[in-house]
Amino acid sequence: MIRFEEFGKRYGRRCAVESLTCSVEAGEAVALLGPNGSGKTTTLKGAAGLIRPTSGRVRIGEPPRDASLPAARRAISYLPQKVAFPEALTGREVLEFYRALRGVAAERVPEVLKFASLNGSSNRGIASYSGGMVQRLGLAVALLPDAPVLLLDEPTAALDPDGLCAFYGFVEKRRAEGHTVLFTSHQLGDVERLADRLLLLVEGRLVASLTQGELAERLAERGVMRLRLDRAVPDLLGKIRRVAPGVTWAGGELVVPGPAKDRPYVLDLVRSSGAAIVNLVASEGRLDVLYRELVAEERR
Amino acid sequence: MTLRSSPVVLCARQELLLAARSRWTQIFAAVFGALALAVAASGYVLSGGGGFEDYARTATSLASLVILLVPVTALVIGILALSSDRGATEILFSQPVSRRAILFGRLLGLFVALAAAQAIGLGGAGVVIFWRAGSSGLSAYGILFAGALAATAIFLGIAAFLASGGPVRRSRALAIALIVWFGTVVLFDVVVLAVATLLRSGPASRLLMTAVLVNPADAVRTATLLGIHGTTAFGAASLALLRFTRGPVGAALLLAASTLFWILAPLALAVRRIERADL
Repeated sequence: MIRFEEFGKRYGRRCAVESLTCSVEAGEAVALLGPNGSGKTTTLKGAAGLIRPTSGRVRIGEPPRDASLPAARRAISYLPQKVAFPEALTGREVLEFYRALRGVAAERVPEVLKFASLNGSSNRGIASYSGGMVQRLGLAVALLPDAPVLLLDEPTAALDPDGLCAFYGFVEKRRAEGHTVLFTSHQLGDVERLADRLLLLVEGRLVASLTQGELAERLAERGVMRLRLDRAVPDLLGKIRRVAPGVTWAGGELVVPGPAKDRPYVLDLVRSSGAAIVNLVASEGRLDVLYRELVAEERR
Repeated sequence: MTLRSSPVVLCARQELLLAARSRWTQIFAAVFGALALAVAASGYVLSGGGGFEDYARTATSLASLVILLVPVTALVIGILALSSDRGATEILFSQPVSRRAILFGRLLGLFVALAAAQAIGLGGAGVVIFWRAGSSGLSAYGILFAGALAATAIFLGIAAFLASGGPVRRSRALAIALIVWFGTVVLFDVVVLAVATLLRSGPASRLLMTAVLVNPADAVRTATLLGIHGTTAFGAASLALLRFTRGPVGAALLLAASTLFWILAPLALAVRRIERADL
């Protein structure tokens, strides 16, 4: 469990996060979204105990402990945005060091190496690793302990499709086990795939908190069905407007905006008008479009 | 928790491993050994003689070199190690270990690595001296090694203080470190001697004595020379100190107190700084 209580952070005159109050419960995966510089990383660092809040506090775990205490950090695993390790060490040495520091059983090292697909390169110096390999090693370090809270700052940024698939599987498993996951990402696919809820930060302020259900509803509202008919039917538009008020004719197509649940009624009306459907294309609302709308709304 | 699994020991071992693999540490050990050998081998050249000096004379000749070389090495290696990449720092400090324990562990590892480099450098030269000039004055050589260790501890503490303020640019921290080195090892003495020449004997002596106690490099150098030569130590500052304390015991105590202060004060400030830093 993570609890932000009026958490605020300023760097000199610049306000990175302003009075953030929210919580992430056990078994919940929450995505922090927002444009660059919106305070996502600062929020995660606050939870990881790496920065001192200017106001408020962050509490971690059960019983809740202030994030700045080492005891609170026992409950977390943190993956930073830019993963780095001393280049003179091998991947295995890094994992052995963190394993010993966290008091994790030795058997975990080969397990996480396998997960991170670093089996064959664990005895090589990190200086010879690619950016993706360093990122995967960072994930392996974060996954070493069975920490109940995972804090991941852009965890999928440098993962290839196989790594991505393994990562999704891992997070889903941890969530199913009742662990808490708070992550940031610019990959909206991660959000759709993993998040039970998304928090949108803009200029340090929390501007939206949407559950998966609310998000699906908002996206459905942005769905569109386009129908090409074999002929024009004079009063059809008026009839459909009762179900889908935003319907229009555009470029010879009947454009019906609205959620998918309204579409069967629209199709019944079209069929009963006697017109035949030549072509039908339906598309759902896109998260990136919704995201841009929410950000633009807040900035206005 | 056993000693081997304590966070301080784990961090120290990790830092020792890194320092041992660092080219800087290896170069330092080689340069230290080469210079010690060169000093021992060429000691009599200026006085028209030839052959190797014994341990005591080599230690005397090396004392100034140690005070010149050890602080800059401890500062540079300390800054390079402690101001590591942001990502590495964030991962390390997000572990369930106090920041103080991580700092102490890393410093301990660096200290052991530099001490080992000095032992290898001085030890290598020591073996050659023993072979060529016998064991006379071996204790003086030991005192020189102790002085080098004290200087290492002091300047590693200063490096820790400079590198503990959060994510500063490494180049900036290095620049400040070099200014600190130049100020304490070179500039301070020049300024103090220049001022002393303008004063009468009494105030000049007091100034020199105070300068020895407030400057860590001077404190270590004077303590080392006093340890090697006892009351026959030469140098205006040493004489002023001996006169003031009326003997070597008082002088040794004052110098030990100054050295201890300079080991502990930067460390305490570094701990305070790292515990308040945004990482």
